[in-house]
Amino acid sequence: MRVTAHVFLSYGLVLVLGSIWRLLPIDFAAPDVIALVAVYLGLTARPVNVGPMLLRIAPPTLGAVILGYLGDLLAGSPRGLIAFTAGMVCVVGHLVHSALIVRGRMVTIIFSTVTGATAGLVMLIVRASSGLVPGSLGGEMKTLLASALLTGLAGPLVFRLCRSVDARFARSPRERNAALGGTLS
Amino acid sequence: MALLRRRVLDYTLAGFLLLVPVLILHSSLKDPSELNGFDKAVLRISSPLQAAVSWVVEGLGGAWNHYVWLVDVDGENQKLRADNIRLRQELATARRKAADADVLEGLSGLRQKMDAQTMGARVVGASLTPSFRVVRVRIDRGKVEVQPGMPVINGDGLVGRILHAYGDYSDVLLLTDPISKIPVVAPRTGSVGSLVGLAEQSRYAGKIAHLQGDDVAVGDPVVTSGLGGGFPRGLVVGKVAKVAHPAYGLFQEVEVEPAVDFSDLGPLLVLIADPPPPDPHAGKLERSAAAYGARPF
Repeated sequence: MRVTAHVFLSYGLVLVLGSIWRLLPIDFAAPDVIALVAVYLGLTARPVNVGPMLLRIAPPTLGAVILGYLGDLLAGSPRGLIAFTAGMVCVVGHLVHSALIVRGRMVTIIFSTVTGATAGLVMLIVRASSGLVPGSLGGEMKTLLASALLTGLAGPLVFRLCRSVDARFARSPRERNAALGGTLS
Repeated sequence: MALLRRRVLDYTLAGFLLLVPVLILHSSLKDPSELNGFDKAVLRISSPLQAAVSWVVEGLGGAWNHYVWLVDVDGENQKLRADNIRLRQELATARRKAADADVLEGLSGLRQKMDAQTMGARVVGASLTPSFRVVRVRIDRGKVEVQPGMPVINGDGLVGRILHAYGDYSDVLLLTDPISKIPVVAPRTGSVGSLVGLAEQSRYAGKIAHLQGDDVAVGDPVVTSGLGGGFPRGLVVGKVAKVAHPAYGLFQEVEVEPAVDFSDLGPLLVLIADPPPPDPHAGKLERSAAAYGARPF
């Protein structure tokens, strides 16, 4: 349920961003909201009972893949490209979650920038390996860097929204405060 | 052990989930245009949502740009005002040049029709009556170029003659002026007389007090007679507007309506020399005189 809420939140964000971004003067790069939500899902993955199994990373990965697939449909990119990238970012986020506490504006910006760069890099590798010939390396790097920086700037807002969603699903005031403070994992 | 098994299962499942988009990507690259039912449903739901968001965003953006974000508007207005002034000046210059071109074109056509030696001139000023009738005009030819007494014409006919020439300008005495006296003839009847201006406040007209010869009728053309030497023969003056027969005399009293519209004179020509006399041998084939008295055998 929580993951579904995040997927819908991200879907709405992508819709709004797609409408706003074309009115702004920056047209060669955009913040990767999907990667941010996916990494957040990976960072905050919680154990979920699915039938007899207790799963932790699989449900957020599924959510990230679905979210990425919706992003593929909205962006018009080859279906599966953003879905795979979002799933990968989610898994990577879960792998590093025990070593990181993403709190405070500056840390969030840096973490989001790294997330944007990682997502861009994964996407570039997938494109290259799928025969989707990328443009010049300089141009790709410029776009990747700009997108990473924009993702970094958008990070605090997106994480705040995600934490608000988590706070809605909190089972106690303590859990709610932890979710809003970014210490819930 | 159970924990490890659970973790392996979790990550294996996540790996399978990652495999799904790879397979989807592989198939979508084969046929990018093919959409399944889920894709179509998502796009069908997303499109109106996107349209609605765009509508709201564009509305807010429009309001912001038109009513709030007006930082550059003042500078832009000033620039546009300066541009407007400059363009108006350019337009006025272009219009003046176009008018000059029209004048030159008119003068060129008029000059081709004239046998006499002429000089183009442009009206630079006019004296008006209280009812806005032109009584005298000033042209841009001075005493170096023209002399008093020279006839002035335009495309419609005789305008008058040079009254004064001074500096770079000259005053033209119109044929409607009471001190103007022009020898004229009605070509249909051969009646001759002297046209004097009536100087009416509200209209342009002249009068021939003593027209000698056969009776003329209203509408008969009147041209210069060439008598007296002031004007060459045949310049159009106007047409008969009214005819009166005094009971005691042999002459007719005729009112003439000038051919020229003095309110809109346009380009003028000053006749600076009479046309050359006609060639008495024109049209005749003549043998050339033998050179040095040589004669044929």
